[in-house]
Formats: sequence, structure tokens, C-alpha cells
Amino acid sequence: MELFSNLAMGFSVAGSLANLAFCLIGVLLGTLIGVLPGIGATATIAMLLPITFQLEPVSSLIMLAGIYYGAQYGGSTTAILINMPGESSSAVTAIDGYQMARKGRAGTALAVAALGSFFAGTVSTFLVAIFAPPLTAIALKFGAAEYFSLMVLGLVMSVALAHGSVLKALAMVVLGLLLGMVGTDIYTGTPRFTMGITQYADGLNFVALAVGVFGIAEILRNLEDETDREVMTKNINRLLPTRDELRQMIGPVLRGTGVGSVLGILPGGGAILASFASYTVEKKLSKNPREFGQGALAGVAGPESANNAGAQTSFIPLLTLGIPANPVMALMIGAMIIQGIVPGPNVVSEQPELFWGIIASMWIGNLMLVVLNLPLIGLWVKLLTVPYFVLFPIIMAMCSIGVYSVASNTFDLYAVAFFGLLGYLMSKLRCEPAPLLLGFVLGPLLEENLRRAMILSRGDASTFVTRPISALLLLMALGVLVLVFLPQIRKRRDEVFTESDA
Amino acid sequence: MTFNLTRRAILAATVVLGLAGTAAAEFPESQITLVIPFAAGGSTDVVGRIVADRMGQELGQQIVVQNVGGAGGSLGAGQVAKADPDGYTILMGTVATHALNPLILKQKPYDPVADFAPVSLLVLVPNVLAVNPAVPANTVQELIDLAKKEPLAYASSGNGTPLHLSGELFKSMAGVDITHIPYKGSGPALTDVLGNQVPVIFDNLPSASGHISSGKLRALGVTTKERAPSFPDVPAIAETLPGYETYSWNALFAPAGTPPEVVAALNKAAVAAMADPAVAERMKEFSATIVASTPEELGEHVKAEMAKWEPVVRDANVSLD
Repeated sequence: MELFSNLAMGFSVAGSLANLAFCLIGVLLGTLIGVLPGIGATATIAMLLPITFQLEPVSSLIMLAGIYYGAQYGGSTTAILINMPGESSSAVTAIDGYQMARKGRAGTALAVAALGSFFAGTVSTFLVAIFAPPLTAIALKFGAAEYFSLMVLGLVMSVALAHGSVLKALAMVVLGLLLGMVGTDIYTGTPRFTMGITQYADGLNFVALAVGVFGIAEILRNLEDETDREVMTKNINRLLPTRDELRQMIGPVLRGTGVGSVLGILPGGGAILASFASYTVEKKLSKNPREFGQGALAGVAGPESANNAGAQTSFIPLLTLGIPANPVMALMIGAMIIQGIVPGPNVVSEQPELFWGIIASMWIGNLMLVVLNLPLIGLWVKLLTVPYFVLFPIIMAMCSIGVYSVASNTFDLYAVAFFGLLGYLMSKLRCEPAPLLLGFVLGPLLEENLRRAMILSRGDASTFVTRPISALLLLMALGVLVLVFLPQIRKRRDEVFTESDA
Repeated sequence: MTFNLTRRAILAATVVLGLAGTAAAEFPESQITLVIPFAAGGSTDVVGRIVADRMGQELGQQIVVQNVGGAGGSLGAGQVAKADPDGYTILMGTVATHALNPLILKQKPYDPVADFAPVSLLVLVPNVLAVNPAVPANTVQELIDLAKKEPLAYASSGNGTPLHLSGELFKSMAGVDITHIPYKGSGPALTDVLGNQVPVIFDNLPSASGHISSGKLRALGVTTKERAPSFPDVPAIAETLPGYETYSWNALFAPAGTPPEVVAALNKAAVAAMADPAVAERMKEFSATIVASTPEELGEHVKAEMAKWEPVVRDANVSLD
């Protein structure tokens, strides 16, 4: 049982007093920056990189990894409490989590998120340990055609996210796709829709967009109607979920963990899809899908498990291939290089203490997060009782600092203001921001991979159906489309029947 | 009472004047910002942070690294070009910011020669031509022969990057046509070559080195004139195509108009930092060759690089708005 001896070695490395301390510092810091809206893990890790010079390689990576998954926990806290997702993955949590908070179930939502994340974290840590090498082989089978088909599947699923009109959801996806086009075209180098502003040459900043359409818009809406907030703060009575609620979350958590673990492995875009995909699955499986968007427990439990599982498994391509799945992983590579470790397939064999130590620390870190966060829930919920004239200016200031810290770009702040107004307008028109965000994230990936696949196949579009994985994904997309429209067809038929009966 | 106050005032004034006197004479009196015009985690970032750390110790002031990524390095470089020329804002320039971008961009955000005071050329970093091990080519010559027989594609970290242009120079010198597939950075490009979605890649040697030593990538040649000390078994492309030479480089620049004594102080600190055995060891692991030049040598280097790349950029017909 090589696995167990490896894990034992990992735990002995991660369990040393110094490494436990660095793990704790990492997850504490991560939770904190996750809770502060706008300030993300990327900015924090970038700022902390110089400090890691002085540390042992294992300790520094354990701490940086702690910040990353700690921020995932903290990010869902703000998404639930003030509808302010700092990362793309918690955007989905905001949909139902915030509605739960408005109904006085903020404590339950936070506890469900924490427990779901812990379970997903535990499972995916073991997945990383067992399957890292074989799973990497699967990730390498994904070429441009496969990614294109995966993005198609993601966009089709995004329509199912909406709980209002399908037409409005489609409109939001398209608007998101268009916003994603802003920036330099990577194939020709032509700037598109940048209005001559060099600062937008690399596209609009995701954090600026998300903070604008979710957060600023929410603040504007709240200022319009103060009584709304007071109702919400008075109704908090219970923090921990009941036995019944615990039973309800088992299914979504298990499914979310599965979806998240698989999608997290894919470098580039995979992890982003995890929480969106899980939400779609839960909504489709639910007995009362109308509950979704009104504060469904499964709408929090599933996506939260999925994004945490995805966050863990995104370490697989990093540790086994030296390939970053997202900007945070790119920073981790930088941290490894600074320490003189060449990231790549050799890390497992040449630095087994490092590899297994990080894996073991992930589980320890997840445990610390649950122990830390369950008692803290009461504290976070008290945030809601802070009067709005104190809370809103603080949130605005934090958002501005956070958005600016991503790239030191003042134009990102103008974008926050613009998208705040747009988000407010959208809420007036009853349009959902989540499909817009997904279109924005997936659009550029869709286009990039479509064009790359076409160049590689020399203009032959059949490449998407002759490659088996790609064909399978497209078939799944077709299946989801049928599922989305089936209830409507059935409903229409029901209506026809009721009419004929009458 | 009055006497006391006056005496205290005089004392205070003397102390303040004394401090001001020393400060004016000695650069630096506060922390320095080093702008790295790329995202954190890349090779320029790593070199920059290692150097900033050591240079800060030399100067007795902290050097704060600020990543201003975007527009292929033009944003960060443009920001330093416009900064106060006092030596407190300096740039980690590269072949992209000081040779390629100014040649490629139609709208020039800055002039690489007139807007900067060169400080020191720090390191040269080789690039490498590598293939997936499944590709039936073991040498540069075999790859050229293969490219003449069947259509091939190569991956690079993006349009207009040094790696793209290394590929274009290779194509024109070898007389072959290989389709260029740009990616958003080195990471995704490497992934697709490791998975054999794209057979060939031009990459920075440091970022590909782990895959080369593990055998997941087959290195056919380095782009420098001589072989790289870290990979003595990998031939130089110039051994097959005489005269072929490209490499990436990192150099420190201050804004134009920075006082010569400040430039000299920065240069002295940079040269001392590069002479540190610990830094040298890091750079060696990184396959980077230390130069640590004088400001004048860097000035000449920038002009030489622009002259070298101008025809390549023109022939490859790369231009960005």
C-alpha cells in the first residue's frame, strides 16, 4: 500500500509544528480576504510572494495553498451575506444563499456551505492522492475541440440557471459573451471594443464586473428600500442546520463533489464551470425547482461543494504537470520557481515530501477551516445587523481597494461603477446577473478554442464530432437542451389538456 | 523659559537640517518601486523578485515589486516612462517592452530609447525549440525535412511575443511553412504540446526545462548562439541554421532624465546583487546567463536588438494596433 505510506509521510511533513502554524496562518488570512469583498486570493498571494523567500519550500506552498482554499470559504460568506461574490465560483452561491439570508436563514446557509465544503475537500484530497497521475492523462486528451464542446455544454447549462424567462436568460448570456469580446484578439492582435483605451487591451476585469453587477447593484437596490434590510436582520434565530436540513443536503453535496472533482482537473476554465454545473444538476433533479432562486438549500450545498472540490483538484495539473489551471496556480508555480523547484512531472519523484506534504496539508487546512468557521458564523451574521450607513461605505471602500489591487488599474474602477449601474438597471428589468457572468467567462474560451480547433483541423468543422470526447460533450449539451425545454413542452401540453377538459 | 525654548528650537533645527543634508546626498532615502510589466508568477516576475530582494539589501531600502501586467508589457513600461525621473520608480524591461512592442505596435505608447535611462542589462534567457516525443524528428534538420513533407503547427505564448518571432525567424531561415498557434501565455501552450494536440513549441527554456529533463518534451535546439550550460546535450539551432540567434533578456530601466548619480547608484546595487553567489545559483537553475552590464552597454543593446528584430517583424508581417 504505497498510497498509505506516501500519505503517512505527507502527514508527518504537514503535521510538524511549524507547518501546522503556516497552514493556520494561510487559512486564516484566506478566510479574512475572502470575507472582505473584492480582495481576492490572487492579489494576496502576489503580495505575500516575497515573504516566502525566507521560508522552507514546503512551508511556503502550504501557506499559499491555505490562502487559496481559505479564500474559497470566505468568498462564499460574503456571497451569502451581502450578495457580493469575489470569485467566479461563489457567484452561484449568491443566487440562493443571499435569498436564504434575506429570509433569516443566513446561519443555516453559512453552515451548509462550510459543511459541504469540508466534505468535498476531504473527498477531493483523497482523489488528488489516488488519481493524480491517471487523471492528468485525461486532462491531456483535452485539445481545442474538446474545450470548445465543453464550453458549449457550459453555456447551454447556464440557460437552466435562470429562474425567470428563458428569453431574458439568453439575452444575458449573449450580453456576457459580447462583454467577453472586449480586448485584444489573440490570433490577429486586433483590439476589439476597447474604445482606444490601452488599459482594456487584455479585456475587462472579471472581479470588477462581478463586484459591479452583484454588489454595487445590490447596494443601490437596498438604498432604495431600507425596510427590506431591517426585516432581514431581525429574523436570525438559528445558526446550525436541523437534522432535516442536514438530510436534505446529503444528495447535493455528494453530486457537487463529483462534478467539482472532475471539472477541476481540466486546466483553464474547468473549475469555473464546476459550481454552475452543480447548480444546474440540482435544479433539474429537484422536486420543486421553483424554490431555486428563492433560497433553496440545495442551491447552496451543491455549488459550494463543487467549487471546493474543484479548487482542490485544480492542484492536480499543477503538481503533476506544472501547468496552472488558473491565475492563483500560476502564482504557485512562480513561488516554486523562486524556491528553486522546477514544476513538472518530476516533482512527485524528486520532491516526494513536498508533493505529499502539500496534499496532506490540504486536508488539515480544510479541517481547520470548519473548526474556525462554524463558531465564526455567529460573528459573520452579526455583520448584517451593522446599520447600512456604516456597512455600505465600508463595502464600497473595500471593493475599490480590492479591485484596484488586482492589476493596479484605475480603469477597472470605472468598470465597477459602470457595471454597478448596469446591474441596477438589470434588476429593474428582472434580468439575472449569473448567466451574464457565465457568458463573460466562457465566451472568450469558447471563441479561442473554436478558432484554434479550426486552424488545427485546417478549416474542417467535422473535427468536433469525429473526436470522441468532443462528440460526447456535444451530445450532453443536446441532452441538457432537451431537458430545459421538455418541461415547457409538457406544460404546454398540460395547458392544452386543461382547455379541452373545460 | 524663553531661553530654553529657543535653545530647543535651535537644536531641533540643527537636527532637521543635518538629516536633510545627508538625505540629499544619499540616494535612496525611501523605498523604491520596481514595476514588473507582467503578471506575477512568470519568468520576468521571478527574476525581478530575486533581484529586487538582493538590491534592496545593497541600497539599504526596501524595493517593492509592483506587477502592472497588460498589453504585452506596454502598460507597465508606459507607466514607468511617465513616472517622476527620481529613481524611485524603475522598470524590469524585457526584449518585449524594449524591442518588439515598439516595433509591432502601431500606436506607440512610449519610445524605448528616448523615454528611458538604461540602468543595467541583467540576464539573457535562452528560448528552446521542442517537440512532443511522438513527433518523428530527433534533430532540427529532421524537423525541417518533416515540415517540407507534411503540414505542421507550432504553439507559442502569444502573437508578437519573442517566442512567436523566434518561430517566424526559424521559418524564414529554414524556408519552411509551419502554422503558428498563439496561446494566452506559456502554460496553456505547453499543455497542448504535452498532450500532442500541437506537435511543436517555441518556449522560454526555464518554463520548459522541467518537461525536457523528464522526457515529456524533446528539445531539438536552443535559440542562443552557443549551447545553454544547463542543457549541454541540446544543440544550438545555429549549428543547423548558421546565424540563427534569439533570446529573451531582462534589464533595469529608469525614466529618462533620472540624475546620472542615481542611475550609477542603482547600477552599482544591481551589479552587486548579480555578483551574489546565491543569486547566481538561482539564475543558473533558471538557465539564465548573468550579464550585469553598465548603463551605456544596455543603451547600445536596446539599439542593437531593435535593429535585429526590425526585419523579422517586417517579414513576418506582425503588427498590432
